[in-house]
Amino acid sequence: MASRKKVLLKVIILGDSGVGKTSLMNQYVAKKFSNQYKATIGADFLTKEVMVDDRLVTMQIWDTAGQERFQSLGVAFYRGADGCVLVFDVTMPNTFRSLDSWRDEFLIQASPRDPENFPFVVIGNKIDLENRAVSARRAQGWCHSKGDIPYFETSAKEAINVEQAFQAVAKNAMAQESDVELCSDFPDPIKLKDDQSKPKEGCAC
Amino acid sequence: MASEAEERQRLLRAVKKEVKQIMEEAVTRKFVHEESSSITSLCAAVEACLLHCLKKRALGLFKYGSTMALLQKVSKTFEPAAEVSRLVSDLETPSSTELSGSRKSLDNNKNQTKKSSSNVSSPKYLWLRVAIFEKKLAKILDYLVQHNSKYYEPEALIADPVDGPIFASLLVGPCALDYTKMKTSDHFWTDPPADELVQRHRIHSSGSHVFTSPGSPKRQGLQVRRDASNATEETRETKTFHMSAREYVESLHQNSKLTLLYGKNNVLVQPREDKEALAGYLSLHQSSDGLIIMWTPNQLMNGCCEDTADETDRSQFWEFAMTIYLEDIVYIHCHQQPDCRGTVVLVGQDGVQRPPIHFPKGGHLLSFLSCLENGLQPNGQLDPPLWSQKGKGKVFPKLRRKGSRLSSSSSTSSGSTTSMDEEEAADYVFRIIASFKPDMLTPEMLDPKAPWAPSSPRSPSSPERSPWPVRRQLPPSPLVRTSVQSYARTQEEQNNTCLVQASNDGTHRYYGYMNHIKQLCDIMTKQIISRAFYGWLAHCRHLKTVRTHLSGLVYHAAVSEDSPLDGKVGVTAEMWSQLCQDGIVTNSSEVYRLVYFGGVAHNLRKQVWPYLLGHHKFGSSPEEREGLEQAVRTEYEKVMSEWLAVEAIIRQRDKEVIAANLVKLSQESTDGHIPLVRKDSSLSNEVFVSFESEELSRPETVVEESSTARTTPSSDRKTSMELSITTGIDRAVGTETPPMVVKKGISLQDSPDDGLGDSIARGGSTTTETDKSKTDSVGDSGFLTPLTPRSLPADVTDRITMTTKLSVDSAVLDEENANTRVEEVKSRTNSALDDADSSSKPDSMTTSRSSLEPRAAQDYEPGLEVRGHLSASRESLLSPASPASNGGIYSAELLDSVALNLHRIDKDVQRCDRNYHYFNCENLDKLRNIMCTYVWQHLDVGYVQGMCDLVAPLLVIFDDESLAYSCFCQLMKRMSCNFPHGGAMDTHFANMRSLIQILDSELFEHMHQHGDYTHFYFCYRWFLLDFKRELIYDDVFSVWETIWAAKHMTSSHFVLFIALALVQVYRDIILDNNMDFTDIIKFFNEMAEHHNTKQVLKIARELVARLQTLIDNK
Repeated sequence: MASRKKVLLKVIILGDSGVGKTSLMNQYVAKKFSNQYKATIGADFLTKEVMVDDRLVTMQIWDTAGQERFQSLGVAFYRGADGCVLVFDVTMPNTFRSLDSWRDEFLIQASPRDPENFPFVVIGNKIDLENRAVSARRAQGWCHSKGDIPYFETSAKEAINVEQAFQAVAKNAMAQESDVELCSDFPDPIKLKDDQSKPKEGCAC
Repeated sequence: MASEAEERQRLLRAVKKEVKQIMEEAVTRKFVHEESSSITSLCAAVEACLLHCLKKRALGLFKYGSTMALLQKVSKTFEPAAEVSRLVSDLETPSSTELSGSRKSLDNNKNQTKKSSSNVSSPKYLWLRVAIFEKKLAKILDYLVQHNSKYYEPEALIADPVDGPIFASLLVGPCALDYTKMKTSDHFWTDPPADELVQRHRIHSSGSHVFTSPGSPKRQGLQVRRDASNATEETRETKTFHMSAREYVESLHQNSKLTLLYGKNNVLVQPREDKEALAGYLSLHQSSDGLIIMWTPNQLMNGCCEDTADETDRSQFWEFAMTIYLEDIVYIHCHQQPDCRGTVVLVGQDGVQRPPIHFPKGGHLLSFLSCLENGLQPNGQLDPPLWSQKGKGKVFPKLRRKGSRLSSSSSTSSGSTTSMDEEEAADYVFRIIASFKPDMLTPEMLDPKAPWAPSSPRSPSSPERSPWPVRRQLPPSPLVRTSVQSYARTQEEQNNTCLVQASNDGTHRYYGYMNHIKQLCDIMTKQIISRAFYGWLAHCRHLKTVRTHLSGLVYHAAVSEDSPLDGKVGVTAEMWSQLCQDGIVTNSSEVYRLVYFGGVAHNLRKQVWPYLLGHHKFGSSPEEREGLEQAVRTEYEKVMSEWLAVEAIIRQRDKEVIAANLVKLSQESTDGHIPLVRKDSSLSNEVFVSFESEELSRPETVVEESSTARTTPSSDRKTSMELSITTGIDRAVGTETPPMVVKKGISLQDSPDDGLGDSIARGGSTTTETDKSKTDSVGDSGFLTPLTPRSLPADVTDRITMTTKLSVDSAVLDEENANTRVEEVKSRTNSALDDADSSSKPDSMTTSRSSLEPRAAQDYEPGLEVRGHLSASRESLLSPASPASNGGIYSAELLDSVALNLHRIDKDVQRCDRNYHYFNCENLDKLRNIMCTYVWQHLDVGYVQGMCDLVAPLLVIFDDESLAYSCFCQLMKRMSCNFPHGGAMDTHFANMRSLIQILDSELFEHMHQHGDYTHFYFCYRWFLLDFKRELIYDDVFSVWETIWAAKHMTSSHFVLFIALALVQVYRDIILDNNMDFTDIIKFFNEMAEHHNTKQVLKIARELVARLQTLIDNK
């Protein structure tokens, strides 16, 4: 049955305004870069079909408004997300600093089943620019502290690493999905029984 | 043993998965349909578990493949099981009698028909289904687990002490759900069993549309739409085709509306004179209002001709497919060929023959007729009856003889019955008689609430066709008909035609039944009256809702489009010169009316818009207006000088942060191992500690590396402090714990500042001076400031020393020049305004700038060089005497919030409409000035994304900063509340919802089904920006002025009607593609700047008029 149902992964892109969310999305989906994008108002999404572990997956990538004022809209868009891409601008330290609040806000509003292991990916964008201000090490450190979030340095303009970053979020989201499918729905009854039976074996040893 | 355990786990996993599926379906779709495929798969999984190591032999079940027998065994001892068993047998009996005719024919036809597939699938797992629906399955399984030894081998899943109970408890969830038999419009298409899906796909794709992704018809539809957005006519056609094909295929299957009575493949039909006979699938269906015969060419039924027939060939087969309503048929001519083939010709009431249907060899004609006769009962029969000679045998030849005898004998009595060719093949004519009596009226005819029209589809190509006519029929009527009277009248007409038709039938078929007809007429009269009453009642209720909820949205007085003259011409130059006598415009309502219906000529917009926006008063003299302009300009310049002064401070702060950051960056580059130490330390420590330290030290980590102007004051201090510490450690000891403790300490110390720092995010750097005033409140952090310049030279390279000194120098320099700078700032701002180019650096500044710039610019990156030289006035502004400071010291909070807003504005102004020719650098600066001035005046709200978009068109029209600013302020009176802080958006959404409910109930139903949809987020940008992003610039102008004029003409919520018009334009697309919340967002985002604005505005005005009529029509 499951094979016939197409897998749809909903991925949300978050980050301060001007870090390049729209550019990343368009670079990934349409393989084009434009310097004509306007500030995103409301939300938009694009879909792309990708292969993840030999499965055809439709990624629905949501591009959101960057100003935190619009976060109140978030709850409608974040709901049901399977993955989240946090973007900052490597030339703007404060956009990196906001990652914390973006992450927290997302977890609050989307309220995923397993917040600890929710598939995030962090993207440091605009590495083609020269005035870099956040080092990879720094960003990696933060990602590490948040439960080893994969970190990618990209340039939406030069199409560097964009594909890899989104592929990673798709892969992780799929992994999460299949985990959930098989175990986490009925963890309690199974565990209880297992606990009862296991000690018996332990005693035998 | 191990493999047994694996097997058990596999079975259990399958059940878990299906249970999860079904529970999710229940959550997401609010209900689970009884025929949902997920129930079937759940049953399959449960069945597999139940069969696992079942003691078949011991129970005498070995010959059964299903667990039905097991249920019967269990039901002897367990009451719920017995109940289920009873229900199952109840279900089985009537269905078998009802379908006996078709079964028989099926057997004859060696099960070649599709009937077999649809009929077998439903009894499969029947008892499991019933048990789930009756919520007893979990109990039964529990019972089985309890008494497993009786039925199962010890290694069975059921008998397993762990897995067995888990298995039983898994089913508790699905047994708690409610299941529905209700059909939803998408049920058949989106959730059919697999085989049906494939077949539909085949048939469907034989048309012009081919699914590339069979799993998601919805998405495909979206694409079809997009392609066709300009070619509407063509689309409509294909769309209809697309829809009908889908419904057609559905109708071939057994479903709730149609019962399949007979099906035979390879029946030949000659669809046209010039065509050869085609083989196809003939089916006979029982629907609620009679029998339907359908014939579908083989080419459409299966993919057999896929290689040869191309798409165009395919589509023509659709024209050949037949649907015949037996109620239209009076005579059935049967021609028997000697080789046992048979031909049927159906003749309608009008005497027209339907294409002959040729049955293949074998008793197919006979079985078809027998099914037909069965289907006609009890309300009709064949004359002569087919089975009247039953006793003598029902095989084919006998019928022929009987028939021929009978037809010749009956030809006298029935007159019209004639036998044609009496050689050796026998031909018969049957007449279809409906035993039509008044007391046999169908219940729905007597029920006034029943739907008007017969519910069955009329023809596959008819666009009005809908399988759910109730919903479609009722709601629009009150809207279309404007008064109760006309509403009732139309209904009466409907009934009259009904009556005429019925009486036609009556005379035709039952000549002499005058009494019955009279009775019939009485009943119909009553019916008409009651229906009219119910219609009127519904209409009244409906109107009441409209009045209570929506009357506030429009003004009640309608505005004439044509008087005093045609409004469509709009405000032309000629018209304007008439209206503007001696430079005074008095006739406001005429201006509004013209603008509302026809818009403003582009070159007049600059003059007319100030009136529309309320900037100029109607009736004001040119002198008054001139005075107003002057006042506005002066005020604007004053405000601008205020914020420019503040901006200067912020620039300076930014600059200093750059300096500090540069220090940091160069230090990191020379002393590359410093971060390494930090990194190592966090790694080498226990996870817990390092995690905490990471967490706490994060804010300053960011700053440490920043090379741009964007850091907060507090972090600047932290940075400098940390720098000295880190380097100190690096040189001296390099132990890991001390730095961490210190870092933690710093973060905690600075925490009161941190919140502030967050809120300003992009604030500039603190200067030493501002620090002094600020740090007093922060307490012990005050000592950090002097530490910065002193500690640095000791540790870092020459270059850094130079930079730090520089910042100290500049501070000293500032103080000296303070007084002169104030003057300069003022002169600069004024000159900037006069030149309409405030961003260019006035020459008066260059001298003072040169003292600073050479040194500063050396080290700062060129891109970051800002207009910071003005910041020299910072010190003077801090003094209470400064004229531009509103007589007070700027608080740090104020500076921070201005800085934040400025940076945001910069970012958005750069991106605003940069593809529109007007916005070159110079004009972008104007835009920025307006934006900053507005935000400075409204710092409590601050800059919100989208404001730039609202200023831009005004600036394009006025090309004058102060005028555009003033008009923008007027505009924002209405728009401001749409922004996130205002909360008007939800009101808009609620109004949209009610309007759609009233004006397009079908669409509303559709939206209602997609729960989330009612949030109307796809309208968000529309309302926030007054459709500015949805339309191209020229259209934005005309839409905006219409909105402004409408405020005085018809509705102060005209935006709602434009939104509604946009929805209306694409409603068919939304409905046909079954779009949900996300689809529609995407759709409208993609449609941006592709709308036909004239059409949309026209529809919007019509919608207003419609609502006005609706409300006023008492």
